[in-house]
Amino acid sequence: MQLKTQILKAQIEEKLPSAFTVYRRPECASIATGIAQIDNTVQGVPLHALTEICGSDLASSGKISVLTSLLAQATRDHFCALVDARDSFDPVSGHAAGIYLPRLLWVRCGTGRMKLPPLEQAFKAADILLQSGGFSLIAVNLSGIPERVVRRIPLSTWFRFSRVIEKFSAALVFVGEEPHATSCGGLVMRVTSEAVFSKNLMMPLKPKVEVVRRWEKKPAYPERYAGYAKKLPEGVGASLVNASLSQQWA
Amino acid sequence: MFACFYIPDFAVQAALLPELAEKRVSLRATPLAILDGPASLPRVFATNKAARRAGIQSGMTKLQVETYGCVLLRKRSIAVEDSAQSALVNFAGKFSPRVESTSPGTAILDLAGMEKLLEPWPDAMRKMTTQAAEIGFELFVAVAASPDTALLAARGFSANGSSRIPRPGALEAGVFISPGEEAARLAPLRVDVLPVSPDMLEILNSWGIRTFQSLAALPAVAIVERLGQEGLYLQKLARGEVSRPLLTEEEKAEFTANFEFDDPVETLESMFFILNRMLEELCLKLLNAALAAQELRLTVSLEVRQLQRGEKEEELYRHEWKLPVPTQDRSLLFGLARLHLEKTTFSAPVRRLTLEVIPVKPRVAQEDFFAPPAPEAEKLEITLERLRGVVGSADEAGIACVGAPNLVDTHKPGSFTVQHFYSLNASHQIQPQQRCHPERSNPVRKARRIAGSKDLYSSQISNFAITLRVFRPAIETSVELTGATPHFVRLWSRHRRVLAASGPWASSGDWWNPSVWWREEWDVALKTPAGPGFYRIYRDYIRDKWFVEGAFD
Repeated sequence: MQLKTQILKAQIEEKLPSAFTVYRRPECASIATGIAQIDNTVQGVPLHALTEICGSDLASSGKISVLTSLLAQATRDHFCALVDARDSFDPVSGHAAGIYLPRLLWVRCGTGRMKLPPLEQAFKAADILLQSGGFSLIAVNLSGIPERVVRRIPLSTWFRFSRVIEKFSAALVFVGEEPHATSCGGLVMRVTSEAVFSKNLMMPLKPKVEVVRRWEKKPAYPERYAGYAKKLPEGVGASLVNASLSQQWA
Repeated sequence: MFACFYIPDFAVQAALLPELAEKRVSLRATPLAILDGPASLPRVFATNKAARRAGIQSGMTKLQVETYGCVLLRKRSIAVEDSAQSALVNFAGKFSPRVESTSPGTAILDLAGMEKLLEPWPDAMRKMTTQAAEIGFELFVAVAASPDTALLAARGFSANGSSRIPRPGALEAGVFISPGEEAARLAPLRVDVLPVSPDMLEILNSWGIRTFQSLAALPAVAIVERLGQEGLYLQKLARGEVSRPLLTEEEKAEFTANFEFDDPVETLESMFFILNRMLEELCLKLLNAALAAQELRLTVSLEVRQLQRGEKEEELYRHEWKLPVPTQDRSLLFGLARLHLEKTTFSAPVRRLTLEVIPVKPRVAQEDFFAPPAPEAEKLEITLERLRGVVGSADEAGIACVGAPNLVDTHKPGSFTVQHFYSLNASHQIQPQQRCHPERSNPVRKARRIAGSKDLYSSQISNFAITLRVFRPAIETSVELTGATPHFVRLWSRHRRVLAASGPWASSGDWWNPSVWWREEWDVALKTPAGPGFYRIYRDYIRDKWFVEGAFD
């Protein structure tokens, strides 16, 4: 039975060479956020992947502070881009947080005379930046955009961004109120902060990060193929499968 | 030795230069007349061979020409002719560094010292005409020992003079006159090839002098007695005995291209086509001069408007691109121009285009070996232009929408500028960051100053600076005070209770100019359904209103 299966598989692979190829995501390096809690938990923001940082817009969640800290770390050695859907970035705060502003490309959406809605401008700008390459971190700040509007973004858009960023050595970070990329997100974090206000003086926020979703580094279903390879009879078919497995998982 | 590049029917060839190569070939076979003169009575200024064969002559009125039928009429454009002449001189520069732009359609080259490179001369002349055909010129080349001899030979033996039409690739691509054979070779040419005045020509005709040979055979003393020094000069020209230094164009190298449309155009496609050709010409010129473009300036002349008083007004649209790295890449320059024009709306149809390039020496080495990986400088300019096409160039205050943020040396809240984004050695290109008031950026510092405590500055805290998410423009609000402290703040149509407040922090400035500001800031913690929210509110004493500037997020 297994031999017949192998013969059938070999015949199919003759015509469709990638029919049984399992897609494998590349090994992910990461950019440190500069926040010990996050870096210890998730080893920073992964390259080749889409990351979402979520937090409340109404309450002070600390998501923008996380983004600013990430930009500060990234601009030390790399060029970064910030697509600001609501034009809410404060250069003074950014400078104080340590962002090297000459290495930051700031795209202010919704301020010019263009008729496109800010959200559409932001996604088009992110698409252009992805195509151009050369930026190690592309951050898209969707804070301030109503949740009902962001929810309308089709899943295919997130999927496309996810697949495109995998080809570049860059991190794509979306900041918003809720996660929307679902399975396309390589890392999804929800940020909350504690109230810190004592003696009528504002204290720094103490962020708490909860990892909602994270890609595992090992590929999906390796055990199934490994077990399958063990059961193979010795022969041509078995060697074919072993070769393909060794190529895929080596 | 000197070579003369001569373009027969220069006005016609110049008019056809912007056309595509295939169309240009078909138009050469079509009768074509160039009109010049006042709009009320234009007359034929130049014709091609097909038109002359059909009987059209210079000086005919437009109405007379139209009676022939199937004659293509074009209006003469000085700008186009200047461009074509510039292209010719530029082309001549490929063969010699010393080029004289003698007259429209004529350029003379000094080939001294290059004989061994170019010989045999027939092959060299054939190569010259072939390369000229590639850029759209039907060229006739004459090589002689003196500039004027080469010039007369070119004019005389070209299509106008002796009906010998040189074809690129054909053997007779030009004329070569060996030193000592000038008089013999020039002998059959007609005297009207010489730079002779109409009166002098009439006198010579009345004597029966019609060729160079007849003029050269006259005794010199008798000519001086009857025609003066001018007659003697003409005789020396006919004998090939005049020699003079070249007035070269080395000092007057200009990288400008012009094009004037016959009729004002309204579509971008027409403009793009011409722009592409103009940039191609400029880039070729830059390449030949071993230079690269640092700046590109575009001037668009819009259709002349007739005012009621009878005066004419010309509208100009100007734009310039400053490139981060010098380039000779036509596609890059064209991409920049195309992306900008696509988002530009003109108030009137376009009549004329002018492109000017500021040349510099090209970049020959990598800027910094240890620089971080960065977007490719040339590609980045296209990316920035595309981004501007999506989000716009500048906001209502005139601050750019795309670029690198830059702080301003002022205490005024919300002050910043956006500079051009450079990927090459950013610290050199952009001015160093201006100092700003440290308390404006970090309220923790403000708190520390007030509290006098140092425990707020742990390393962990300094790494995680609290960031303000700014609302642009600031949200107008109403605040209920208890004493002098905010108690309730209206935010997004709801009254939010103030859990804690820090302030007031008063600031003012610019009282000496109209942008005066005077405000009192409060950092407040508001009760929201999602938890406490930290906001910055301020009271504007100039307008006497409360605003929410942003949220600490």
